[in-house]
Amino acid sequence: MNLRLQPVQVATGSDDQESRLVFASGLLIAILVCLSAQHEAEAGKWYLEVGFGRIHDVAAPLFSDLDEAQAWIRDQLPDPS
Amino acid sequence: MTRISSPPAGAPNPFIRKLEAFTALSDEDRVMLERISAETYVVGPDADLVREGDKPDGVYLIMEGMACRHKRLEDGARQIMAYLVPGDLCDLDVALLSRMDHSISTLSACKVVHLEPETVATILERHPAVARGLRIGTLVDEATLREWLLNVGRRSSTARIAHLFCEVFERLAVVGRVREDSFALILTQADLADTTGLSTVLVTRSLQELRNGGVIDLRDSELKILDLPRLRKIAGFKANYLHLGDATAA
Repeated sequence: MNLRLQPVQVATGSDDQESRLVFASGLLIAILVCLSAQHEAEAGKWYLEVGFGRIHDVAAPLFSDLDEAQAWIRDQLPDPS
Repeated sequence: MTRISSPPAGAPNPFIRKLEAFTALSDEDRVMLERISAETYVVGPDADLVREGDKPDGVYLIMEGMACRHKRLEDGARQIMAYLVPGDLCDLDVALLSRMDHSISTLSACKVVHLEPETVATILERHPAVARGLRIGTLVDEATLREWLLNVGRRSSTARIAHLFCEVFERLAVVGRVREDSFALILTQADLADTTGLSTVLVTRSLQELRNGGVIDLRDSELKILDLPRLRKIAGFKANYLHLGDATAA
């Protein structure tokens, strides 16, 4: 499944702002936030701030880059076949 | 690394201090409590004292450090349901059950005492004031669990962390483990996350918010509360469920 990413700034109430809206088939499915320096060793990793539908309420790991995050999101979605 | 938070010099016996917060003890009671709590041994951090499924084998008394009750999902995700701090006895009447339904593990290195079921039975029989204190302790454990359910189910991220800190502060203060509004908090962010049902990212943000607001300082496993009234307000903290003034009120 093709995912589309749209850069956006999110008001998380912290230094973490740089974010991506993640769309699947035109529907917003997740918001990924890049962790700021306040997270020390985890800074620069991507955090699933919120997921909708199939990835709502799923404990997600931190992702080292956006490719890894997208691969994980695809794994949670139903097989298109 | 085995690191135990050292109690202040000449610190009182936390077990006796805690029971005296609930009930009046005689000199004879205190002598007996000193004797049974003298034989401590050190357990490293992240060690199981009791595992889910074990047959209960007496009770543990925490004399230094911090332990927790917890359960895990099959995928390994952990929820911590209680902290055990100095002076806390795990499961007074556990000998009545055939199998443990949860695990008890150390969070930091701990000094613990293991009491045989017969020792506990003898105390309950021969020392009514101690028995009363221990039973109040069991009721307070249940009240604390109710408060934690409210915390995890209904409070915001920062209020959850603030509430936890308010509670640990009160519980450590009563056993003489707080100095100048500071106490040892040898917990990882993952421990705090598993306690409050938050991700480690949300824990980091909440800690940062409390730090930036001048409410707490947390460094080198030492938590200093800079503004206790603010911390209590953020948490919506009321200490009534801990029943710590009940001995004087009775």
